[in-house]
Amino acid sequence: MLEVKELVKSYGTGKNQHKVLRGVNFTIHKGEFVAVMGPSGSGKTTLLDCISRYKPFEGGEVLLNGKDLGRLNEKEMAKVRNQEVGFVFQDFMLLDGLTVFENVCVPQVIRAEAYQEMEKKAAQLLQLFDISQIGEKYPSEISGGQKQRAAVARALINDPLMILADEPTGALDSKAAETLLETFQKLNETKRATIFMVTHDAFSASYCSRILFLKDGRIFHELVRGKKGRREFLNNILDVLSMTGGDSNVH
Amino acid sequence: MFIKLALRNVRRSAKDYLVYFVTMTVVVALMFAFNSLLFSRDIQELLQEAGIMIAMLGLATFFIVIIIAWLINYVMRFILEKRSREFGIYLLLGMENRQIAHLYMRENMFLGAAAFLTGLVFGMLAQQILMAVLYSMILMEYRLNVEINRQCVIMTALCYAGCYLLALLRCKRKLKKMNINGLMNAERQNEEVRESHEEMKQWLLPLSVVFLALFGVWLFCWKAWDSIIILAFLVGLILVIYLFYTGLSAWIICYVRHEGKAVYSGQNLFLLRQFASKIKTMRFTMGTLTALFVVAFLGCSIAMMFNFYQDHMLAQKMPFDVQLHSRYVENDFAAELAAIEKTVPVEEVYPYYIYTNGTNQMNLWLYTHLRAFGDLYRNEDGSPDLSSIVHEGMNTYCKYDTYMGLSDYNHLRGMLGYDAVSLADQNYAIHMKDRVFRETGDFSDQLFIEGTDGQLACAGYYTEPFSQDGQNGGDYVIVVPDAQIAQMQPYYAELVVDIAGKAPDHLKAEIDAASEAARNSLALGSHHTRTLDIGGNSCCGSDMIMVWGFDNLVRDNVVKEMKCMLLSLIFPLIYIGLVFLCVALTVLSIQQLSDSAKYQFRYNVLKQIGMDSREVAGLVWKQLALFYLCPALFAVVISGIIAGYVGGNFNFYSGTKTPSWLYFGISFLLFFGVYSIYFAVTYIGFLRNLEAGR
Repeated sequence: MLEVKELVKSYGTGKNQHKVLRGVNFTIHKGEFVAVMGPSGSGKTTLLDCISRYKPFEGGEVLLNGKDLGRLNEKEMAKVRNQEVGFVFQDFMLLDGLTVFENVCVPQVIRAEAYQEMEKKAAQLLQLFDISQIGEKYPSEISGGQKQRAAVARALINDPLMILADEPTGALDSKAAETLLETFQKLNETKRATIFMVTHDAFSASYCSRILFLKDGRIFHELVRGKKGRREFLNNILDVLSMTGGDSNVH
Repeated sequence: MFIKLALRNVRRSAKDYLVYFVTMTVVVALMFAFNSLLFSRDIQELLQEAGIMIAMLGLATFFIVIIIAWLINYVMRFILEKRSREFGIYLLLGMENRQIAHLYMRENMFLGAAAFLTGLVFGMLAQQILMAVLYSMILMEYRLNVEINRQCVIMTALCYAGCYLLALLRCKRKLKKMNINGLMNAERQNEEVRESHEEMKQWLLPLSVVFLALFGVWLFCWKAWDSIIILAFLVGLILVIYLFYTGLSAWIICYVRHEGKAVYSGQNLFLLRQFASKIKTMRFTMGTLTALFVVAFLGCSIAMMFNFYQDHMLAQKMPFDVQLHSRYVENDFAAELAAIEKTVPVEEVYPYYIYTNGTNQMNLWLYTHLRAFGDLYRNEDGSPDLSSIVHEGMNTYCKYDTYMGLSDYNHLRGMLGYDAVSLADQNYAIHMKDRVFRETGDFSDQLFIEGTDGQLACAGYYTEPFSQDGQNGGDYVIVVPDAQIAQMQPYYAELVVDIAGKAPDHLKAEIDAASEAARNSLALGSHHTRTLDIGGNSCCGSDMIMVWGFDNLVRDNVVKEMKCMLLSLIFPLIYIGLVFLCVALTVLSIQQLSDSAKYQFRYNVLKQIGMDSREVAGLVWKQLALFYLCPALFAVVISGIIAGYVGGNFNFYSGTKTPSWLYFGISFLLFFGVYSIYFAVTYIGFLRNLEAGR
């Protein structure tokens, strides 16, 4: 599904150049729920920004279903963002002036879908995430957890190939975070949604099936959950984190 | 759905940018009202010289379209920056740049259309007010007449659309270059604290002040002007308008850095830091606003000057009800008199001559001494340059000096209600325009007026309004006793008529037609023959503001015509002044209101530290006052210097006695009236936004 090969990204120029990603390599297969973890400044968010072409990168390749995202022009990339990838952000990124229902519909509007089809899909997603009752409310009128679920619904409305989530639980309380992660897990298990999540939170990462550890701009370790329970997997994660001396956040 | 999204965004934007919406509505209303003058049948009938009004309004509209396009472009860029994150989200969700550009354009067109339609409604009201003012200024009664001219609506729509198109095209290019990263970080760009070379830049402030002082000295004291010096000072003035703000911001930063005494007093630390950073970021905009304010001030001041002139000077130039002039001394004005008597009741008719003795020493003295002529007619040694005078194309003065007999003079004085004058046999008097006499003073010691028995002595000067734009002489007439005048030759013929009541609008046209007919009958060889052909017996005096070459003057008709011509200047100047003022104040208002979200955080922190609501309101007032006053006060200084100079010269050349500070003072009051309204709206809106954010 997603292949990242020798990805390189720097900030600054000349003497002030700082390499954040120094040749990152990994692959995500269809139906996987993968997280990338690492200490502050390790390049996690930069990695996601480069995959989504939110920021340009200097070297390497990012292949989505065999398509080299680095070679696409703006129009083609817009189509990828609209139809093949769904985004979920820490600060929700909902449009203030639109209701929850309308926010969820926006990707379909961009795709110029017929209203009936759009309405049906949006209604189904609102139901799935248990936010039907707030469909007519504005983002300023709902809680953080509800906002994030609306954002996830929006990310899914065009049936993307994968979801990219950047610290999706960062702005949520523990209950809301748990609800969101369970939602991701359910999507992954029932709909075989492919999810790639950036997080510094070990608890959030414990819901994933595989974790990539980023340090000094490279993937230095990988943990696969396999048949382990979540608690056991969490302990494994904490062990790795203590080795790296990175941030950890356990609920 | 895109249209729904656009409309939703418009509703949201209209609330956030109400001041901008109101300004655009006012601009449309003004455009419609002023454009309606061009298409009004009433105006076209009223103004024979309607072409001047059309040309002046056209010129004003051209500048206004450019400035409005700048405003729209500024606000669109501003809104774009404020909503950059929102547009970044659109891009992240897969919208193309092109689609976002169309969405944004559509939003602005909806907003623009709403402002246009609202403006048209208010424009009809403004049109009536404008017509009422215009009619009252030319002393006519106006009856309410709502004229919705289709061409006027189309022209207003075209001007308005032109402003939008110019702005939209610029914005569209910017939108097409957007990228997600840039948009997401756009709002954070100014958060970076960048203070560099402030110690050096602070010197721009005193340098600007010195330049302005030099500018004032140059205007008031410099005698030798040439185009290079003028250009240098103008370029310097424009540079100073912009560099002043760089210097001011750097000076404040240095003052705070060096912990000046006032820094930690009251709320100054907060105020100074905010003000300095705002000025630094917005220095180009502040410079442009200052320039707009200067143009608005000067436009209004000059309009006031012409308004004072038309109110006080026009009637003085023509004190007689009707005055006829003929180069031919044999002309008995029979045809013209018949036309007058047919049209209006006549109370008194008085024909007379202006005489000459073939000398021109008075004319030569005036040519070589009046400031209006400079060195044009003087040789290097100060003597008259006769060849220049002879070839002078303006006919300021007749070829020879002009004389009037005492009995004619006293009769005319009696008709105007002045006291009679007595002269001894060897005396003469000079009746001169007040404006000219104020410049020359008594110069009779430099004149040698020859009489029958030797030199005549000057008995005095008289300066009451006496119709001296070529009728009773150009600028002056020398009055001598009848015995002296008997030795002189008639130079040209004059006839004055007192009529009962007001002259009808067509009287001058009737008289002109009669004169034309009489001239044609002369040409066909009637019994009138010319026995005297001195030549050079037409002149117009040295007035610079308003000069006419009519042989037949009907005061009521000509004054009205002249007022209309002056209104062609006054109205466009007021129009430009008002629009520029509103544009500049809108930019200031939008800046502050839009930043209120950022300030919410800062003021909330201050409240948490212990500042109470009353203190916060006071701090907000000071912040806004500083921000609003800065460009305005700077503009007051610059335009005060220029208006003082122009006003002084206007008084000199027009003869008005209004203190030049009064012209500026009135526009200053008008300016701050409008200013206060915008300030009050911004202050209330700012406080409301702070409250909403808590």
